[in-house]
Amino acid sequence: MSSKEVILARIRQNTKQRYEMPDLDIDAIIFPDKLHTFIEALKAAGGEIYLLENEENVNQVIRKLYPKAKHIVSSLKEIDCATSNPDRFEDPRELDGTDVAIVKGSFGVVENGAIWLTKQTRHKAVFFIPEALVILLDKARLVNNMNEAYEKIHQSEAYDYGVFMSGPSKTADIEQALVFGAHGPIRVTVILQ
Amino acid sequence: MSTLHSKAAARFIKNRAQELWHDETLWMVRAKRDKMSRSLPEWENLRNLASAIKMYSNSHLDTLLQEFEMNAKANGAIVHWAKDAEEHNQIVYGILKEHNAKNLIKSKSMLTEECEMASFLKSKDIDVVESDLGERILQLMNLKPSHIVLPAIHVKRQQVGKMMEKELGIEKDNFDPTYLTHSMRKHLREKFLHADASMTGANFAVASTGEIVVCTNEGNADMGTSFAKVHIATFGMEKIVPNVESLGIFTRLLARSGTGQPITSYTSHYKTPAEGCEFHIIIVDNGRSNILSQPEHIKTLNCIRCGECMNTCPVYRRSGGYSYTYFIPGPIGINLGMLKNSKAYSDNVSACSLCLSCSYVCPVKVDLGEQIYVWRQKLDEIGVANKQKKAMSLGLKLLMDRPKLFNSALKFAPIVNHLPRFIVYNAANAWGKGREMPEFAKESFNEMWKKNKVK
Amino acid sequence: MKVGLFIPCYVNAVYPEVGIAAYKLLDSIGVDVNYPLDQTCCGQPMANAGFEKESTRMALRMERLFKSYDYIVGPSASCVAFVKENHPRILEKAHHVCINSHKIYDICEFLHDVIKVEALASEFPHKVSIHNSCHGVRELHLSSPSEMNIPYYSKLRDLLTLVKGIEVFEPKRVDECCGFGGMFSIEEPEVSICMGQDKVKDHMSTGAEYITGADSSCLMHMQGVIERDKLPIKTIHIVQILAAGL
Repeated sequence: MSSKEVILARIRQNTKQRYEMPDLDIDAIIFPDKLHTFIEALKAAGGEIYLLENEENVNQVIRKLYPKAKHIVSSLKEIDCATSNPDRFEDPRELDGTDVAIVKGSFGVVENGAIWLTKQTRHKAVFFIPEALVILLDKARLVNNMNEAYEKIHQSEAYDYGVFMSGPSKTADIEQALVFGAHGPIRVTVILQ
Repeated sequence: MSTLHSKAAARFIKNRAQELWHDETLWMVRAKRDKMSRSLPEWENLRNLASAIKMYSNSHLDTLLQEFEMNAKANGAIVHWAKDAEEHNQIVYGILKEHNAKNLIKSKSMLTEECEMASFLKSKDIDVVESDLGERILQLMNLKPSHIVLPAIHVKRQQVGKMMEKELGIEKDNFDPTYLTHSMRKHLREKFLHADASMTGANFAVASTGEIVVCTNEGNADMGTSFAKVHIATFGMEKIVPNVESLGIFTRLLARSGTGQPITSYTSHYKTPAEGCEFHIIIVDNGRSNILSQPEHIKTLNCIRCGECMNTCPVYRRSGGYSYTYFIPGPIGINLGMLKNSKAYSDNVSACSLCLSCSYVCPVKVDLGEQIYVWRQKLDEIGVANKQKKAMSLGLKLLMDRPKLFNSALKFAPIVNHLPRFIVYNAANAWGKGREMPEFAKESFNEMWKKNKVK
Repeated sequence: MKVGLFIPCYVNAVYPEVGIAAYKLLDSIGVDVNYPLDQTCCGQPMANAGFEKESTRMALRMERLFKSYDYIVGPSASCVAFVKENHPRILEKAHHVCINSHKIYDICEFLHDVIKVEALASEFPHKVSIHNSCHGVRELHLSSPSEMNIPYYSKLRDLLTLVKGIEVFEPKRVDECCGFGGMFSIEEPEVSICMGQDKVKDHMSTGAEYITGADSSCLMHMQGVIERDKLPIKTIHIVQILAAGL
C-alpha cells in the first residue's frame, strides 16, 4: 500500500462521527464610510495613503513621494516614471536593489486595510524585494470584510499566486517592538484613484 | 509533589523582573486581541462557524484530502503523502537531493519542528536557514522557540545584539530593535537570493482549489519562494479547509486572535508553480489520524496555531515556554504532547489551574482546559500519577466519605492552629512557601447548626 | 419552595461565618431554608487532582441529602459548578441519573435569577473589589467572561449595588485566575503564589479595602498571600456583605 492509501485507510477507520458543513452565511460587519475606514485601517497597518486628484499625474506624484528613488520598476502601461520593466529580467535576483515597484491592486478590504494583489509580472518578487511598494487602487473597488473578499475572489478569474497585503513588511520579534521592513518593503504607499 | 514543569517554572520565576515582563508583555497581546475581537459584532458567530467548519473538515479528511490532491495536481504541483515524521523528512531530503540543493530557506512551520526536520537535514549536510526573524535569532543562538507565534519572546534585545555582534559582526552595543532588525534583513537578503530551495508550512490548504495559504507579517515566506527553483510546502492534514469561502472565516480570526492585528501583513495564496520552478506539497499524518479515534480529544485538530491560548494562560505567562517538556507549550501544547505520548509528556498536565480562559479565548473553540481535566483523570491509569497527590486524594476521600469521621476531625482541627510555626511551615509544605495557612474555626458550621447556633 | 443549604467542606471547617451569613440572608428574604446535616465535600479536590472516580460516593451522598429539596443553594461558585458540570458524568458511571445538577445554584445566581431580589436591608460603607472567580465566570456565568464579545454583565455587581454605602470596583485583569486551583496550589506552588500575589496587587490598585467574591476558596488563597506579605487589604465573602447588618 502507498502512504496515501495507508493514511486514507487510517482516516476512514478512525472517523467516528461525520459532522455537517455549516451554512457560511454570516451577518458580517459593513461600514457606512468605506473609504474613510479603509484609509484608517491601512494607516494602522503602517501603510501610507495618497488620494489622487483628477488633474494630478500619477507619475509626478510617485516622483514627489520618492524623490531619491533611482531604480523604479513597473510593467503598468500608465506608468512612465519607471526605470525598467521587471518582465525584462530573466532572473528575479536582478530585481535586488529596486527602490520602488509600482503595481496594481485588485481591490481593498475595509476591515483590515489589506489589498488583494495577483501576480501580474513575470516574477512575484516585484511585490517583496523593493524598498518601497506603490499600489494603485481604484477607490471604488472596496469590499467591507474578508467574507466579501473571498466571495469576490471565488467569482473572479483564476490566479497563479495572490496575496492580501496589509501595509509594509513588519516584525515585533525583538521584545515586541514594532519594526517595519523585516524582509519585504519598508514603505507601502497606496495611491487611490 | 513536583513535576518537571513545576520545577522549571520555579526557576523561571526566580528572575521575577523577567517573569513580570513576560507576563505583562503577553497580557498586552491578549488585551490587543480583546480590542480586536470587540471591533466585530459577529465575533462569537465567527468562532462558532470556524469550529463547525473544522468539525466538518476533520470528519471528512478522506474526501477533502483527495479533492485537494486532485486540484493541486491540476495546478501543476507535485503532491506527496507522509505517514510520519521520518517519511516526511525523507521526502524533503529526496526532493533536495534530486535538485542537488545544498541549502534550504524556510519560513516558520510548527510541523517541521514536530518532525525535527532541521537536525535531520543537518545530518545530511543541508544548510537549513530559518527566515522568520525570531526563528533566525534563536537558530543562531542555538535555542528553541518558546512560543509558537512569538518564538523569541523570552529573549532580551541585549542578548540578540550580543549574538549578532559575534555571528554577523554588527556594531557593538547597539541594541536598538530597528537597527537589529535591519541588520538581520541584510543578512537574510543574501540567504533568500541564493537559496537552492525554499520551504513553507501552510496555515490553510484549500480542498476545492488545491492552493495553500501562508500567513506572515515579515513576508519571509514570500521572499523565500520568490527566488529558489523549488518550493516545498508541508502541512499537517488538519490544515485542510473545504473551500475559499471558509478562508473568509479563518483569516478574520487568525491574526486578531494571535497578535491582535486585523490581518497579517501577508496572506499569501500559492496555487501554481512559478515559471521554471517546482512546487511540492507534502500532506502529513504523523499521529493525526490517531486523534480522530479519540472523541474526547478530537477538537485539538481544530487548532489553527494562533498561540492565543498561551497569551491568556496565567500559568504560561508566569512560567515561560521552556518550562514545558513538549515543543509546543501552553494549553494546546499540554494537550498535543499528551496525544503524542502520554507517558513521556505527562509532566505538563500540572501546568493548569483549570481557569478555562484558554477555552473561551480559542478562535476555533478547542475545549483546551476541559481536555486537560480529562487527561488528569487518565494519569493514574497510564501509571504516571503523582503518588503524594494520589495519597492525598485517597486520604481526603476516606475522610469525606465518612461524615462522622469528618465531623470529629473538624472538632480537633482548631488544634492545628496552635501547632508551632515550624511544623506548619516546614520545607515540604508547598502552601507555606508564600501563603499563611487558613485557621480552622473553633466550631464548624455543622456543629453550630446542631447546637442551634445558626440564626 | 424548599431550599437546602449546601455548605462545602472548607466553608464548614474554616469559614462557618459564611454559612451563617448565607442562612441569615436567605431567611431574611423569606426563603424556606434548611441545612441537611452531616454534609462533607462535593468531591472536587480529588477530581481536579485526577481522581474523579473517588468522588462518586460523595456525589451519591449529596443526591441523598438533597433529595427532598426544590433548590440547592451554596455560597461557593466553584463547588456548585462542580456539582452542576461534573456530577452528572460521575454518577452516570455509577448508573445513577444526577438530579442535583438541575437544581443547584450559587447563592448569588439564586438571589439574582430565581428570587430576583430588588432590595436589601444591608449596609456596608466600604470600597470593595469584586473577585470574579474562574468557575463562577466561565462555568456558572455569574459575569460576562472577558474573553467573549458579549455585553458586560455582572450578577455580583448587581447584588452589591443594592447594599447601602458600598463602592464597587473591579481589577484591571477582571477575571484572571488567583492561582488557587485546588491541588494546583501545592503542585505548582511558585506559579500559584505568583498568581496570587499579582491578583491581590491588582485588587489593591483599585483602592478597595476588601476583596469580595462568590468563592471562599479563591478568597482563602488570597487571604494566605495577604497575611504572609502583610498587605493592607482584607477578604470577605459576598454573602457577608449582602447580609451585613441583618
